[in-house]
Amino acid sequence: MAMREAEQDRPSLGLQLRDLVLRQEGVLVAIMVISVIVLSITSNNFLTTDNLLNQARLLTEVGLIALPMTYIIITAGIDLSVGSILGFSAVMLGWLWQEQGLPLELAIVACLGIGTLAGLFNGLFIVYVKVPPIIMTLATLALYRGLAYGISQARSARGYPDWFFRFGAGDFLGLPTQLWFLIVGAIISGLLLARTPFGRGLYAIGNNEVGARFAGIPVDRYLLMIYTYAGFMSGLAAFVFTSRVSTTRADSGTGLELDVIAAVVLGGTSIMGGTGTITGTMLGLVLIQLLKNGLSLSGVKGDATIVVIGVVLIFAILTNNFIQKRLQRA
Amino acid sequence: MLKRTLIALIVLALVAGPLAFAAPAKAQDDLPTSPLECPGEEMAADATMAADATAMAEEAMTYDGGQPVDAPDKAGQDIRVLDLPKLIGIAYFSATTKGMNEAAEELGNVEVVTDAPTEANVDDQITFIENYVTQGIDGIMFASNDPVAISPALRRALEGGVHVIGFDANSEPDAREWFVNQATFNGMAKALVDSMVEEVGADGSVAIITSSLTAPNQNRWISEMLAYSEKCYPDLNYLETVPSEEDQQLAFQRAQELVNKYGDELDGIFAMSSVAAPGGADALTQMGVCEDTVVIGISTPNQMRPFVKNGCAPKVVLWNPVDLGYATVYVMRAVVDGTLLPGATSVEAGRLGTLPVINGSEILLGSPTIFTTDNIDDFDF
Repeated sequence: MAMREAEQDRPSLGLQLRDLVLRQEGVLVAIMVISVIVLSITSNNFLTTDNLLNQARLLTEVGLIALPMTYIIITAGIDLSVGSILGFSAVMLGWLWQEQGLPLELAIVACLGIGTLAGLFNGLFIVYVKVPPIIMTLATLALYRGLAYGISQARSARGYPDWFFRFGAGDFLGLPTQLWFLIVGAIISGLLLARTPFGRGLYAIGNNEVGARFAGIPVDRYLLMIYTYAGFMSGLAAFVFTSRVSTTRADSGTGLELDVIAAVVLGGTSIMGGTGTITGTMLGLVLIQLLKNGLSLSGVKGDATIVVIGVVLIFAILTNNFIQKRLQRA
Repeated sequence: MLKRTLIALIVLALVAGPLAFAAPAKAQDDLPTSPLECPGEEMAADATMAADATAMAEEAMTYDGGQPVDAPDKAGQDIRVLDLPKLIGIAYFSATTKGMNEAAEELGNVEVVTDAPTEANVDDQITFIENYVTQGIDGIMFASNDPVAISPALRRALEGGVHVIGFDANSEPDAREWFVNQATFNGMAKALVDSMVEEVGADGSVAIITSSLTAPNQNRWISEMLAYSEKCYPDLNYLETVPSEEDQQLAFQRAQELVNKYGDELDGIFAMSSVAAPGGADALTQMGVCEDTVVIGISTPNQMRPFVKNGCAPKVVLWNPVDLGYATVYVMRAVVDGTLLPGATSVEAGRLGTLPVINGSEILLGSPTIFTTDNIDDFDF
């Protein structure tokens, strides 16, 4: 009953909010269209099905983790340990299978489970011990990476059977297999965020955590859920990554957290919390990958590509801020 | 209940963390080793010659490299090839790139494009390969950050008709046509260990500063060094292996930590990369402990000159990376021109003369060079 009333109250404010979000995403779409036009003029090989599908393969791991990261940043939190969880889960996958003789199918399940536990561990400390997310995940960034090196003895596990590579290097219904994980994950995550009390709860936490508590939102449970979700997705990304590059290494996914955060922030999610959408994150993700790929194909060298992406990030954020201010005045 | 679970988790974490670190990472691979003959009465310099002789003797293998599919015939025509080192921005790979450009200029019909990640990361290398194959390139010359992970991307390049040559760090043999091998692993291991024993004696205690614990070359050398030591100097005591991640400052810090931890007990440090060696030698110099501890490392003469001269790093072992890059371009040209075919036993490489084929599909640059006060001023790279 209370819920229905809340929903009826939304339109005026909700319409305004949606307008704003639409415009943020509108800016991204505009930048993307311009980039695609410019890049396909500078390189004939850019706008081809093969190339674009291949890029989809490369962005999946970042994309999978960007989904829970959007949730986390909406609540004004951050998770810096996702790259390390990926490395740790990947190493456990290889170690359990090769050193401990577990069947590969079970090792994959264990890889997902270990990622989930690693995320849960972050969540428990953030929620119940009240360690700030940035501190906690900075600590586990080091801890999980250390475990990955320690357990694997810095050796890589190799020689996976052919069926294993179907997930990272194969196709399903005409698309790279792993892209299906991302599509399904994005739809579910997007619906949960936009259409459920859980999603509204996350925005509330990001806007005002104390207020959210007083409003009866189960803040602790939600926070625990999203950090655990981040762990699970990092485990899933670890599996996809291993299947794509064909070997598990203790340094897998180093620095991945920054790519993930860049995609989320470029997608219009404010690091201060309270705003953001999955659609925006996916647009940010695709835009960064298109730029990386397109610039490289146009003959721009690796180091210059990073500079251009940095400039685009700043430009997109400035534009968003400008529009936001104009809207507030209007 | 929840609190109890939480406490259990904390305890688990506190126990599991140190346990994982307690066993020092071994930083070697599991591939079979083939230690060379012990020096006996020979000098170390002669020993490296013997290394080559052994390598030559093993050459009877058949060609095991891959072949590009329907590569366009560009014999004698202009080609554009990618130089993909492990990373850009360090002296060693700047030297290989310099050698490649030298050869390209000499040949006149090769354009070398250098592009690589700024960190030694195999995932980025894969992306570079795929982008350049899509862009359209005639050949790829790579130094891999992981021999297995890079291979599927290279095989796709071969399938796309692109010529693929490895240098410095190999892939799986069938994922490239030829690999230009700067020096055999067992030859390098022998040169390093013999040099160390000459400085600290056959019963000294030594530590290793490697690059990353997953670096394939470094792990191979360390495996061969351990096997060779076991065979020839069983009393040589290996204390610890620590990583320095291609970071000179970190190597500096690691060397300091090792000296602080072991003190007089530590006689020598093997520094396994071109930045670990100057970093480590600099640390010993600044601490003033070169009387007790020396660095024997793999690095370039320009970086190591002050430390060779002040005695902190009396011997430096390396090949000439400029020659390595130079030879790689000549091999690429020979492959494109069809003059280097599977089964060949040698290849012409400009000013380097004729280089031998070993291990089926590898081209050996030559024996490792040991730089000392006597010869280091003759080299500039």
